[in-house]
Amino acid sequence: MALSPIDSPKPVPAAAKALPAKAKALTILNASTSSPSNASTPSSEGPQDLSEQLNEQVRRNYVTGSRLGEGTYAIVYSGHLRHDPTSLVAIKKLKVNKDYLDGLAPDAFREVRALQELSHPNIIKLYAVFSTRDQNLNIVLEHLPRGDIEGLMQNKSVSYGPADVKAWANMLAKAVWFCHENSILHRDIKGNNLLIAADGEVKLADFGLARTFSDPYRPMTYNVITRFYRPPELLYGARYYGGAVDVWSMGCVIAELVLRHFFLVSNTDIEQIDAITDVFGSCTEDVWPGVSRLDHYIPPAKDNIKRPKPMIYWKQHFGMLGDDGIEYLKSMFVLDPRKRATARQVLDHPYWTNNPKPTPKELLPQAAGGVEKMAEDLKRRGGEIEEGDGRADKVARKLNFADLKR
Amino acid sequence: MSRAAQRSGAAPSKRAQEDGDMCPVCKSARYLNPDMRFLVNPECYHKMCESCVDRRFSQGPAACPIAGCKRTLRKARFRTQTFEDIKVEREVDIRREVASVFNREEDDFETLQNYNDYLEQVENVTWNLINDIDVEDTRRKMDAYKEENRRQITRNQSNAAQEAISRKAREEEDHELTRLRRADARREDELERQEKSDARKGIINKLATTKGDAASIAREGRRAELKKSSAQRVALDKKRDGDVFSSGTENGDASSAFLFKGLKKRVAPPPEKPYDPYGGWSAEKEYFSQQDFYDWDYLSNARTDPRYSAGGYDINDYCARALCDAFSGFGVFIQDEVSGRDLGSTPSMATTAAAAVGGERVDAKMDDVF
Repeated sequence: MALSPIDSPKPVPAAAKALPAKAKALTILNASTSSPSNASTPSSEGPQDLSEQLNEQVRRNYVTGSRLGEGTYAIVYSGHLRHDPTSLVAIKKLKVNKDYLDGLAPDAFREVRALQELSHPNIIKLYAVFSTRDQNLNIVLEHLPRGDIEGLMQNKSVSYGPADVKAWANMLAKAVWFCHENSILHRDIKGNNLLIAADGEVKLADFGLARTFSDPYRPMTYNVITRFYRPPELLYGARYYGGAVDVWSMGCVIAELVLRHFFLVSNTDIEQIDAITDVFGSCTEDVWPGVSRLDHYIPPAKDNIKRPKPMIYWKQHFGMLGDDGIEYLKSMFVLDPRKRATARQVLDHPYWTNNPKPTPKELLPQAAGGVEKMAEDLKRRGGEIEEGDGRADKVARKLNFADLKR
Repeated sequence: MSRAAQRSGAAPSKRAQEDGDMCPVCKSARYLNPDMRFLVNPECYHKMCESCVDRRFSQGPAACPIAGCKRTLRKARFRTQTFEDIKVEREVDIRREVASVFNREEDDFETLQNYNDYLEQVENVTWNLINDIDVEDTRRKMDAYKEENRRQITRNQSNAAQEAISRKAREEEDHELTRLRRADARREDELERQEKSDARKGIINKLATTKGDAASIAREGRRAELKKSSAQRVALDKKRDGDVFSSGTENGDASSAFLFKGLKKRVAPPPEKPYDPYGGWSAEKEYFSQQDFYDWDYLSNARTDPRYSAGGYDINDYCARALCDAFSGFGVFIQDEVSGRDLGSTPSMATTAAAAVGGERVDAKMDDVF
């Protein structure tokens, strides 16, 4: 393979700016070897200091290829290892964020930090991080060319059955369990953050909102998780929460897979509470002791206390899962987060070992979409929804006039 | 009319005429009854006419009416003769029966030599049965073998049936493919002719409208035509190559009766394991065990105050993490890692010390850390 003098097709500023602390911080993340602290300030033309050299080494390993997509937050390129053109990667190049000129944007930092900790077949792999000469942070991620779960769910030309849903749900549950087992909350689980690898494996991606959890007395923000997937405790403004928030989102994704449309839909946070209570009943002290102590809790009117939907509703809508499947799905939707199943309890449920057996990943149905969809998903900022309020937008984009003519 | 009778008519010899045209039981001749059919029973292969069979065996099994035979025959087994020579008829029957029991294939054997030995043994059995040598002994042995290898035999039978089906399917597919190819070729010809005439028209048009060297325009047109047709041919060939696929067949298997050497051992597929929802991963803590309650004032508030717990915050998560942070380093042996990383170079004082400390603590019992 011919070596090009420039590593990436991206424009390089004429006079390369001095690499400040950013590159150095990165190399400490990347390199496993010790880094003797070099107090001398790096100069642009003189010999590079160690951190720059290490950064350069990592950068030289990868060849950036064609551009797959661009968002306001990041550009996604396809790429491959320099010595092995068959090993594809996705390179997510973060744009310089005006708010954080002197350091890393928190979401980029969160993503890198979480993914460095996690190595599991159902979690997107982080290969390396490097910075290019124009001060951009590049995150080298696994190449996942088969679209995402939301695309599958909405694509009516793809048909799937209970065994396929079980296989996808299991891969999701494994990913969530592994995150929690390593004390990381994902906090943005939804269909289009679940990408599908070339071999059919579902991988949890977009750790831009992830954080470690479980320090006592340390408040966390409740303004996380895309609204349709947000659990009631976050809607009520809980600042101390745990893995139960991800379990609720996971339940939403599995419910969507069965229903083939979004499960709990609304336009505002208040309406989201209504959407939840319509199905699961009102949140009162009886079903959820202590709920009235949450910051944004609004007690339901005395004459308007809703009751949870009866079993017949579940049988009608989620009959595909079978009785054991409905039971395990409902265990993820318990209003009181302390009584909600943990990720471990979800995986221990007999649903997984009962019939039908989950489809092997090679045989799972696939949708077209592929690489563009991956770029679409990776270029988003953590927690970002596409412009507008999301729902109507997507509907508009999905209209295909070529199909209407027929 | 039976074939035997036909043949005997075609090549008349005195004996055949007598045998063929007269029933040995009722002595009626074809001359009187032109529709007469002769049947044989594979029990003794004595020939008799259809009406005799009806008369004698309709009431149930009866003895063969031919003098000196006395075998019990059943009506259901009477059939028309395929071969003129009754000996051949019998041999074919025996061979068919033996082959249905000894139905192994070459694939079942390690070497060709083993397979040939097997065939020889089978042929011995057949020969004995045909020529009435040791019939009882041979039959007994064969029945015993049949009993022992019943499953094996039925499997081979079904394999053979499947083979036949797939062969038929393959033939049909070949047929279809040739038909398609022919249609393609026809279409291609049509297209080519069309294009040729179009191109010629184009050249003529060009000659009529542009001013230039007539010879060069004609040459150019012809070259473009050639290029197009060759490209088409390549594309078609490619398309056809993509369509072809092959199918394999499963090997038979073997066990060890009748003493056939060199049978292949059949490896049964391992039984399917129950599905593991964790996918083989485990997060069991090796170096500590967590307790339900740790008496520490710092945590008590978070445990009891609903402000903290109502949102789903669980103090046990914190304990698990703190314990994990404290003890998960026990599985890491710095000494091994250092010696593995740079063989030869001496580790620094600090790493050696750390390794020593780490090594000591591994088996220390630590139930309650607080």
